[in-house]
Amino acid sequence: MTGLGLFGSLSMATRSLSTARAGTEVAGNNLANVNTPGYARQRVSIVTSGSVPSAFGPQGTGSMAVGITSIRDTLVDGQMLSELSVRGSLESQQQGLQYIQSATGERLDRTGADTSGASNGIAKDLSDLFDSFQKISSPNTNDPAARQTLVASAQDLATHLNQIVQRFDAVRSGIGNSIGADVTAANDIIDQVAKLNSEIVKVEVGGNGRANDLRDARQQKLEDLAKFANFSVTETPQGASNIAIDGLAIITGAVVTNRLEAFDAGGGQVLVRALGTATTLNIQGGSIHGRIESRDVALAKTRGEIDLLASNLISEVNAIHATGFGLTGTTGNDFFLGTGAGDIKVNPALKNNLQLIQANGVAGDVGNNTVVLKLAQLGDKPIVALGGERLGGYYAQAIASMGQDLKTINTQIGNQDIVQNMLESQRDSVMGVSIDEEMTDLMKFQKAFSASAKMVTTIDEMLDTILNMKR
Amino acid sequence: MRVTSNSFPTRLLDQITRLTNRTNQYQTQAATGQRITLPEDDPASMRRVMDMQGEGRKLTQYADNIGRHQELAQASYSSLNATKKIVDRAGEIATLAGGVNSPEQLKILSGEVDQLLARAVQFANVKNRNDYLFAGTKSDTVPFVAVKDAQGRTTSVSYQGNVDLAESEIAEQVTLSAQTVGANTTGTGNRGLFVDSQAGADLFGHLIALRDNLQSGNVAQIQSVDRVDIQKDEENLLFHYGSNGAAQARLETSLAVSKQRLESLNMLVSKETDVDLATTIVKLTETQNAYKAALQSGSTILHQSLLDYIR
Repeated sequence: MTGLGLFGSLSMATRSLSTARAGTEVAGNNLANVNTPGYARQRVSIVTSGSVPSAFGPQGTGSMAVGITSIRDTLVDGQMLSELSVRGSLESQQQGLQYIQSATGERLDRTGADTSGASNGIAKDLSDLFDSFQKISSPNTNDPAARQTLVASAQDLATHLNQIVQRFDAVRSGIGNSIGADVTAANDIIDQVAKLNSEIVKVEVGGNGRANDLRDARQQKLEDLAKFANFSVTETPQGASNIAIDGLAIITGAVVTNRLEAFDAGGGQVLVRALGTATTLNIQGGSIHGRIESRDVALAKTRGEIDLLASNLISEVNAIHATGFGLTGTTGNDFFLGTGAGDIKVNPALKNNLQLIQANGVAGDVGNNTVVLKLAQLGDKPIVALGGERLGGYYAQAIASMGQDLKTINTQIGNQDIVQNMLESQRDSVMGVSIDEEMTDLMKFQKAFSASAKMVTTIDEMLDTILNMKR
Repeated sequence: MRVTSNSFPTRLLDQITRLTNRTNQYQTQAATGQRITLPEDDPASMRRVMDMQGEGRKLTQYADNIGRHQELAQASYSSLNATKKIVDRAGEIATLAGGVNSPEQLKILSGEVDQLLARAVQFANVKNRNDYLFAGTKSDTVPFVAVKDAQGRTTSVSYQGNVDLAESEIAEQVTLSAQTVGANTTGTGNRGLFVDSQAGADLFGHLIALRDNLQSGNVAQIQSVDRVDIQKDEENLLFHYGSNGAAQARLETSLAVSKQRLESLNMLVSKETDVDLATTIVKLTETQNAYKAALQSGSTILHQSLLDYIR
């Protein structure tokens, strides 16, 4: 035997043509998917097609394409899922805190008439209230205009506190709705991942090679899911991705074992559990976690502080006011009614009859301002229940604390941007499509194809030569 | 690191987004002149600014309180001046009575003292913004009520007010009253302007006695008792002149201090919140240049590929 022979060589050229064509097709597919999100570039695997014995020793029989592989880095993919969860949580917390910040209405504006930058928030209303007490105490206790101003500024403060609580309630309810929407979207993705699992297993178990495009699509869906909640992924030998949230299996193979459900745990506190179960899932990442966190930590904290401020304002003002006497000699009336920021209001009796404001320390002494002076000085009094802070100082601290929380989240998102950009660059460098590379591959395989075609022509001519030897 | 076709647009978009955010930040700072607007910008500064704003509003209120006290002090001072003229004239009449022998002339002087008495009662019942100035804290009560006989002559003047004064804040935890009580017969506490037992002053009683002694021609009593009593009234007035002057001086000082503190506070607020405009404009220009460079370099790179060079 002497090598392949002419027909063997013709077969080799045919295989080479197929290999070059496959290379061109894969490069074309890569080019077509250059902007497809989640797409990982593919490469055709080419091997030599074995050798045959010849008089000169083993002789090569060309090359052949044995498969198409997708170039992915599973470590980076895993990290990406984790970082997307963190980012989803941070962004939701940021959104929640921004709502809280807006609800308080505290902002500095030094371009207005008041160059100190005073806003129209609670801080100004508190100052206005104590200034109104000052106006009556200086010494003007029976001035109806001053009394009217006092009632108006007290009512402004009370209304503002009521409005903040209403806005906080709206934020809380909005967060609940958003959790519900997130759960619906997450369930939809869970269904799609289970379906993709099924298709991947069918393709790969059938011995048709690796289901690259389906795997890309699944990774993309998993990344979408990670934005809503964090989860653990385990890949089965058959190629399915099993998903568990807080240790509870959500997808096993191609089956959705548990769906998520948003439920009201009482008082509008929307939480998440597996559908049909009673146990709340402790989700530690993604937008669902961020929303729960912003509602149950940041919003609850700021609302609690505003409530504490209001309840102390009510009790402290009323305690002093009750000891005074109105212009008609009445005593013991409350100045504020209510128990907290949600229901604080000025006693309607005082609004209807300004003479009932108990500013005097002695009945009948309309110029005696000892009680209203104490009320005016209340603004500077450290209050034990507020940690030794003044009313205004406590509010300013609550605002600063909320601002600090938001600033911290902003910084964390900035850091997260850096981490995520690095990961994306890293991943892009592994799986991203380069048009230049694909064009080069295209040219390379085109030349190989042309060369193989030339070989077919050459063998053909050689066969013609042989056939023409006999005339 | 391998750079792919999407590396450029992704990176460019990221850079442009960051530069746009920064441009927006510097533009806002340049337009408002403020470094911080929201609590998240600088929470610690926000807290300090809110405290300073509160303090500023309080200082403004203290200045208003001081203004009100000054008004009262000046109104009291006007009444003091008017009363002083009455006391001076009463003293002159008491002295003059020693050299007058004619009962008719003494009766004419008695009539003048009666008029002085009526004016003194009128001044003692003066009002400021609907409040009686010399009634103590019973500011809605007529402080002095004249009791008259059948001939319409005042026989006594009783005090309806009290000896308490309404103090209010002129600085943090510093209270003051610029008022004066009309009468104090308790021997302690705030000195009365028209009647004060500590000083032996009783302007109305002394004027009534002078008038009656002039009427009856009791010159000896006038010389030995009434002149001395009116002297005590005058000394009491001088004491109140001193008190009023001291209160006005204190108010002036407090007002000046409040204004100074307000100015310093404005400077401190400015220090906390305001941007250095020159630095901000330079940074804004830098960022804009970087933005233009990113766009220009990006468009150059994105337009080029191997496709431009192969047939």
